[in-house]
Amino acid sequence: MTDSNQTVFADATQVHGDAVIEMDHVDKLFGAFQALTDINLKVARQEVVVIIGPSGSGKSTLIRCINRLEEHDAGRILVDGIELSEDVKNIQEIRRETGMVFQSFNLFPHLTVIDNITLAPRQVRRMPKKEAEALAMELLERVRIPEQAKKYPLQLSGGQQQRVAIARSLAMKPKVMLFDEPTSALDPEMVGEVLDTMKDLAREGMTMIVVTHEMGFAREVADRVVFMADGQIVEVGTPDHFFQNPQEDRTKLFLSQIL
Amino acid sequence: MTIDTPTLTRGFVARNWARKHLFRTPLDALLTVVFGGLSLYLIYRAFLFVFVNARWEIISSNLKLLMIGRWPNDHVLRVALAIAVLALWGGLIGGLIAGRQRAAGLSVAAGMSISQRVSDLVRRFGLMIATIVLLLLLTDTAGPWLMAIGAGAAGFAGYWMGRAVGARTLGKWMTRLGMLVLAAVPIVVYWYMVSAHPLGEWEGFLFNMTAATAGIILCFPLGVLLALGRRSKLPLLKWMSIAYIEFVRGSPLFVLLLLANVSLEFFVPASLAPSKPIRAVVTFTLFTAAYLAEIVRGGLQSVPRGQEEAAKSLGLSPTKQMFLIVLPQALRNVIPAQIGQFISLFKDTTLAGAALGILDLLAGAEAITSQPDFVGQGLIIESLVFVAFLFWVGSFTMSRESQRLEKRLGVGVR
Repeated sequence: MTDSNQTVFADATQVHGDAVIEMDHVDKLFGAFQALTDINLKVARQEVVVIIGPSGSGKSTLIRCINRLEEHDAGRILVDGIELSEDVKNIQEIRRETGMVFQSFNLFPHLTVIDNITLAPRQVRRMPKKEAEALAMELLERVRIPEQAKKYPLQLSGGQQQRVAIARSLAMKPKVMLFDEPTSALDPEMVGEVLDTMKDLAREGMTMIVVTHEMGFAREVADRVVFMADGQIVEVGTPDHFFQNPQEDRTKLFLSQIL
Repeated sequence: MTIDTPTLTRGFVARNWARKHLFRTPLDALLTVVFGGLSLYLIYRAFLFVFVNARWEIISSNLKLLMIGRWPNDHVLRVALAIAVLALWGGLIGGLIAGRQRAAGLSVAAGMSISQRVSDLVRRFGLMIATIVLLLLLTDTAGPWLMAIGAGAAGFAGYWMGRAVGARTLGKWMTRLGMLVLAAVPIVVYWYMVSAHPLGEWEGFLFNMTAATAGIILCFPLGVLLALGRRSKLPLLKWMSIAYIEFVRGSPLFVLLLLANVSLEFFVPASLAPSKPIRAVVTFTLFTAAYLAEIVRGGLQSVPRGQEEAAKSLGLSPTKQMFLIVLPQALRNVIPAQIGQFISLFKDTTLAGAALGILDLLAGAEAITSQPDFVGQGLIIESLVFVAFLFWVGSFTMSRESQRLEKRLGVGVR
């Protein structure tokens, strides 16, 4: 996390240090519907960017474009210097470098927790089984559920499942972690445990882009908050600046509705 | 708390149950009386036929023909040996699975008492064993008895051996070697049987069983590939798969079997043309694969999109996304429909007799009614009832095992 007394950039493309993710004039269409319009965003190494906005504003679409779960129609997206293109090799490489955590966890129900975590390291990185299992146990310690390793995902609570999903992504040692509303499908009493895990991760210096409705998390952990509406980035700022002194009318309206 | 005399209680409970379940309303009472009477009448007639009027000697004197056709007498021992080896093999595999589950602490049987375990076994295999005993009672020589006892003993021995080995962790190479040996067993047995009597002349229930087993094993990969082809992004592959599936599903199996009997000569010289059982197996395979493809496609659609997305986001290649993540879940979700299709295939093997002129169980059962001893006595009913019964036992056992498999793999869990 960077210091909050640094310069506030009103422009989303200005960052301190080198950018891990660069989005340059990105457009995305679903048929005739324009989901993203002229998105310009840079994310620096070790930065935590929280994206908020009303539903349907394109937040999820934006981060799903970064690992090519959605294909953007115009503009450029670079992840760690690699440009996303039709080239399947590039796509695979970018997906290896970016972890993603989904709203509905998407754990593999036919595999045990430990097999969920070791699958990608073994299949994609060709890591030997023993090494992968040691790594998985280490990650399960980190998300504080090592005792659940042999269980199947559906035997766990929602909060535990989401922590396993985080561990599964981390097993690929990604440079960036994308979170797509990670706590929206959880019962209220389980939100805290997942947010705590994410806070730990931010403290350890992981680069993160988080789409969330948890304003407390945004305030506490984010280096920058990005506000989106109607497929566009409306306003960007540090949490202090953003929540106390929003500039745009659209932002003020949104904040008045949720706070 | 004290309880009344048990006799009183039991009578009371029974009356209460009957009132609640059979005579709750006047309409219930009427339906109970009508259908109760009807079923009693049907059971009575069936009982009368099976145990009093039917002349089962037509079956008992032709049992060998019905089971293994005109298999040469000199080589009958091979059949017995093959059955014993397959029983050993099946027991071994069952035991290995049970042993592994026990070692992993997943065994269902471990928590059962002896009586529970016996009743579980009876429920699974009771019908099959009873049928085998029934068949044995129809014979008048000692051979079949010895064969059955030998096969049973081999099955048990295999199970215990398998369980002992399965509980242990073997080295990587030992495991691979073991798998290889297990996979080789049916091939060796097949070769051993064929070297005595060529496949082209296999008949009786042996043909039905062999054709069904071969068809099920072969149609499975083809069906999965067709389902994947139908979803492919490559237009040519996709359209070919669709054309194949829709063509085959639009034709009656009997017609395809008749075609298989005559049309191969257009493409292959007569000297190379395969024998009738092979034509039958190929047709069954191609036919069932088309249906299986649609079942698997349904399974693929039942797997949530998020599964594929999660696999993608981890960097898995498209092939691995499919074969490690989506397909295992898809196949598990459609086990009942798949087994249903396999049961159909098993029963449809009876069509081969009429279409290709193979003396399978059904054709044999019809043929024996023209034997001098039985001709013109209307014994076709006994014959057909016997055929229907054997197929019912096989189908029912398969569907029971499918329910078990479903439960074990937790289909309903999601």
